Amino acid sequence: MEKKSSENATPPVAAPLKLFGSWASSYTHRVQLALRLKGLEFEYVEEDLGNKSDELLRHNPVHKKVPVLVHGGRALPESVIILQYLDDAWPETRPLLPADAFDRALARFWCHFADDKLGPAVGAVFASTGEDQEAAVRQVHENLALLEVELRDGAFRGRRFFGGDEVGLLDVVLGCGSYWLAVFEDVTGVRLVDADAFPRFNAWLRDFEALDEVRETIPAVDRLLEYARGLRHMLLGLAGANAAAPSADAPTTAAAAPSAAAADIAVDI
Amino acid sequence: MEGVVVLLNCFVSPFGNRVRIALKFKGVAYEEKAENLAAKSPLLLSSNPVHAKVPVLIVDGKPVCESLVILEFIDDGFSAAGAPPLLPADPYARAHARFWASYVDTKLNEAGMRVWRSPKGATAAVEAARKDTVAALKTLEAELGGKPYFGGDALGYVDVALVPFAPWFLTYERFGGFTVAAECPALAAWADRCVRENTCVAESLPEAEHVFQFVCGMRKAFGLD
Repeated sequence: MEKKSSENATPPVAAPLKLFGSWASSYTHRVQLALRLKGLEFEYVEEDLGNKSDELLRHNPVHKKVPVLVHGGRALPESVIILQYLDDAWPETRPLLPADAFDRALARFWCHFADDKLGPAVGAVFASTGEDQEAAVRQVHENLALLEVELRDGAFRGRRFFGGDEVGLLDVVLGCGSYWLAVFEDVTGVRLVDADAFPRFNAWLRDFEALDEVRETIPAVDRLLEYARGLRHMLLGLAGANAAAPSADAPTTAAAAPSAAAADIAVDI
Repeated sequence: MEGVVVLLNCFVSPFGNRVRIALKFKGVAYEEKAENLAAKSPLLLSSNPVHAKVPVLIVDGKPVCESLVILEFIDDGFSAAGAPPLLPADPYARAHARFWASYVDTKLNEAGMRVWRSPKGATAAVEAARKDTVAALKTLEAELGGKPYFGGDALGYVDVALVPFAPWFLTYERFGGFTVAAECPALAAWADRCVRENTCVAESLPEAEHVFQFVCGMRKAFGLD
């Protein structure tokens, strides 16, 4: 087959995989989880988001963000795009997207929802106080209610996971980020994901977090808590707050601009 | 794919017009229902309860929402012989195309909206928006490079994602105080080529002056003037 544009051709599947990410980035976790689900080996490079490597900037000059997956020298940025690439390049191995066109459209629609609506709403709760925070909390509840309805009566009713009996694209996208809900509840003292109000969402999250590949991917909750406390402290500029000082292991984003850190990493689910 | 195809759209919507182009490109017969965004129809509200936005594609009674999701759906579902694919077959090329289509939404549309949505007199905001819009257009122009289309020799996914914004260039120009022809001549030429060489595009896009009048009407309605 004639190669029209060699810059745009997929490398051989056996070519090495290298993932640039950040340990607290839920977008990075999505890719790590997907690679594990597909049984693909990869090299991981931890990026200091306050001092990004030349290699990362070369691979993602447009957005300069993690995660970036480099496959045989070809760079793929944007987590949802990377996940679909993995399905396209390894179609026989544990597909993340379903086969039916409507089901695929539904999965993609709710992935957009996770990134355009739910994520920013949760981020807003975390970054605000008082009335602004109350408004953001209402937004989160409205968004979770929409998902709860789909799980109860709608497109996903009767399913253990959004993908069916096994996790799929939407589980990976929503799941890698939903663990922040409990962390943010702890740090802000605000109730986000009430098990009585959102029973099916809670059941899904519990089942998701119990999976081996997920437990391998999501950092320990005490690290997430420490990180979140430090970030909230910085975002709100609170003086003398009861926040733990960042440990030596935490990323040096503690020194970086708060909004840049938040946008890059974890505040958006 | 079987069944009646209905598109809920508003004639100026670049997102809705992406879907028009894709359906015509694939030779799919469809009925378009024009939505008045100030008075949304029950069908729109029930088909897109999450966002209540156009476009919505309804196939045999089942709705699909979000323009880029719809484009992929059309590619997945209407790939009969004779209807060329919008996305390339190669996985890396597909990822590349998805990246740039997403860029149109997150960078160009976002900045462009700020150009025409700023209240009268907000010169600093408009100037910032103009800068960001021109930067996004230049980035897209660089990605086009010397190719006739983003898709290569023929119209593809990124072309369909971007060209419905071409009728909006006049509006960006008049509110922002610049011209696309001066800032991005290759991109301006690409937009003309899309219309000239592809009936599906020519038949899908509104007149730039009509878009401008629509926006002026919206600005009055929202008290921005």
